[in-house]
Amino acid sequence: MRGIVNKIIEVSFIDGPGSRMAIFLQGCNLDCLYCHNPETKKYCQNCGRCVEQCPAGALTNLDGRVTWDKAICHGCDRCLEVCPHSSSPKTTLWEVEDLVAYILENEVFLDGVTFSGGECTLQADFILEVSHKLKEKSNLTVFVDTNCFLEEEKFLTLCQNIDGIMADLKAFDPVLHRKLTGVANELIFQNLNTASQLGVLYEVRTVLVPGLNDHPQEVKNIARFIRELNSYTLLKLIPFRNYGVKSYLKEAPNLPEEKFFELFEVATEILGSRVYGKYSI
Amino acid sequence: MKLETLSRVRRAMNRVYEIITDTSLDYKDKRHLLAAEAENFLPYVKISEKAQNYFAEGILCDLFEGHAPYRPRYILPDYQKFMEKGSEYLNLKPPQDLFEAVNALLIIYRYVPSITSYPVYLGQVDELLEPFVLAAGEELSEKLLKMFLVQIDRVLPDGFVHMNIGPKDTRTGRLLLKLERELKQAVPNISLKYNEETPDSFAVEAVKTALEIGKPYFVNDRELKEDLDPAYGVASCYNTLLIGGGSFTLVRLNLKEAAKKARDFQDFIQNVLPDAVLAQAEVINARAKFIVEEAKFFETSFLAKEGLISLDRFTSMAGYFGLYECLEHLTGLKLGQDKEALYYAEQVLKTAKDTLKRVPGAYCNGTGGRIGFHAQSGIDSDIDVTPGVRIKYGEEPDIFTQIKTEGRLHKYFDTGISDIYIFDRTARENPEGVLKIIKGALEEGIRVFSFNTSDSEFIRITGYLVKRTDVLKYEKGEVLREDTVKLGAASIKNNNTEARKVRIIGERNSQ
Ligand code: SF4
Ligand code: SF4
Repeated sequence: MRGIVNKIIEVSFIDGPGSRMAIFLQGCNLDCLYCHNPETKKYCQNCGRCVEQCPAGALTNLDGRVTWDKAICHGCDRCLEVCPHSSSPKTTLWEVEDLVAYILENEVFLDGVTFSGGECTLQADFILEVSHKLKEKSNLTVFVDTNCFLEEEKFLTLCQNIDGIMADLKAFDPVLHRKLTGVANELIFQNLNTASQLGVLYEVRTVLVPGLNDHPQEVKNIARFIRELNSYTLLKLIPFRNYGVKSYLKEAPNLPEEKFFELFEVATEILGSRVYGKYSI
Repeated sequence: MKLETLSRVRRAMNRVYEIITDTSLDYKDKRHLLAAEAENFLPYVKISEKAQNYFAEGILCDLFEGHAPYRPRYILPDYQKFMEKGSEYLNLKPPQDLFEAVNALLIIYRYVPSITSYPVYLGQVDELLEPFVLAAGEELSEKLLKMFLVQIDRVLPDGFVHMNIGPKDTRTGRLLLKLERELKQAVPNISLKYNEETPDSFAVEAVKTALEIGKPYFVNDRELKEDLDPAYGVASCYNTLLIGGGSFTLVRLNLKEAAKKARDFQDFIQNVLPDAVLAQAEVINARAKFIVEEAKFFETSFLAKEGLISLDRFTSMAGYFGLYECLEHLTGLKLGQDKEALYYAEQVLKTAKDTLKRVPGAYCNGTGGRIGFHAQSGIDSDIDVTPGVRIKYGEEPDIFTQIKTEGRLHKYFDTGISDIYIFDRTARENPEGVLKIIKGALEEGIRVFSFNTSDSEFIRITGYLVKRTDVLKYEKGEVLREDTVKLGAASIKNNNTEARKVRIIGERNSQ
């Protein structure tokens, strides 16, 4: 089986416990106002639009299939700018075996791998196979960074076969959630419950966006929800920063530091040291 | 007087006048430079014409050590012995409590000679002070250790002053790490000897400190003990030498410049490199002999008389740098990018080391009668040449490939090698993750792992640290306490230090 990988970061410190390789899969099923990388949303349609725009000649269109030559690419991202389909030609198809081999090559440096995206659970079967093979051959753990917007049964299977879930909860309030992401959050809550019960809900992360979900009540609700769930899940609050935002909210202001501290306090009152913030600002 | 002599005298007088009237130098810097000027008024120790030519061509360099060395470059006194016996010369009895212990160390540091005139080795400070710290209790110890560290920074303001801790977890070690994190001083340099016995909780404290202030280094204790001596220390930048010993001299060979003299890689390996290494060994031995036989250092130093150092634990060092450019020039391959480059790199190092080990090293009993093999980290005046056997800054591959490539090369170097990895600030969120990478790196053969964050106030130059704010002050013409800031400022410009790739990009685009 093959997975469509947007990119791999050999090691990341913010995608779960310890040292982890972060594997970003292509494709997403939400439409967030503050998306930082809309080019990960859809699979490439091979329309060829980006090919002639590439200044390095790194893209070619062979029999209707666009391919990318990493070795000569400058990384200018011109192709991403012109793509009308929220996609990228710079993805790589990875066979399960090859990816597992690549991870194991670097085993001494790693505590595990984290699948992220896009929304990596769109390729849940691929993740399951990699996880399965990896566990046969090593002690590495597998984490999944997900929006939890996945069919319940599939989500359950996933949770049963990996070590940790890092869940994005964009908003507690259902109306606000729909506004921010385009979808309702009922299913998401359902899945958070499932992950919690299975003991794999490592962390819930919420980006605090000025004027949208930066309300103390929102933060209170999220913190309380986590407190009710279990005694172990961490809450990570992330202040919105417009740097790199390419969609709707690209002109929005950053969340002011004082505001962030205030909300951080609100959550800490409920969850204590289980709350942590980006780079401990 | 002969005309030639007359003009030499004139030049020297001018130089002395220049030093005395230089407003960018403070009193102690002037005194140091004046002493060097006096030393250099003597002719260079006797070396062959061939060796002289290598100097003229920029292939050999003695790092401005001086014409007539009168003390070893690096000295690592056996401070443990000093604590047990005291010192007759210093009129000090063995210390009985933490006050006396700290006082005794601060006194003896002032009496340890070196090339910089500052002590380059402060000892295994955690071990030395641990019994006293345990007796004194937490509060008092913290206060005294803080004064100890402040005193070191103010009185010995030199980035090459180097303290060792570990591998054992101690109260003192933890206090020192905590205080350093608070004090945020560039001095002293610190190494943590790390092995399987070092508990994770202690190592994580060290990682946290390093993510704040760029130190300590993590030193591969198991390998160095095996390769060098169980009683080794890390001095100055990252020189691994014997406690109770040291190194007479360090003469370095520029592999990039040497490569330019070769017709091709074979010619380099068979002729050019061995010839240059032999000349290097000749100079090293001439300098070591001068210290021992003419300056009679060991007959006059109380350190030797009282057994805190002994001649049979000394060595000399042959340093190498510019391997990256050497390979690029001779093979067109880029170390770290092209897999085959590693094969050629090992050929170069093997050849240099084998040649060096064929020659007896004068008084090099600390390393089995042979000159120590060392990766020289480069100095401020080196331009377009990569320190030691590192990968050129800005050209590094992904961090795993970098570590694995360099891990293969580190094993050759018994008297010091290191590399610097820059993490982005998200590493502070996850010191356990950083520790995992360090463990992996040591397993892959890295001997000294040093790291920093890209937003740090501290910049690690080659082996020493400087503060960004001090560099700015220096550039504005302020006279500074730390003499290493001058070196650092020039190095940052010439060596492209800031181009080092940030190795771990944890901060993703997505939120
Ligand atoms: S980023 Fe895209 S457009 Fe730019 S060189 Fe690479 S493939 Fe071509
Ligand atoms: S990346 Fe976008 S523009 Fe390029 S071929 Fe695919 S869909 Fe078309």
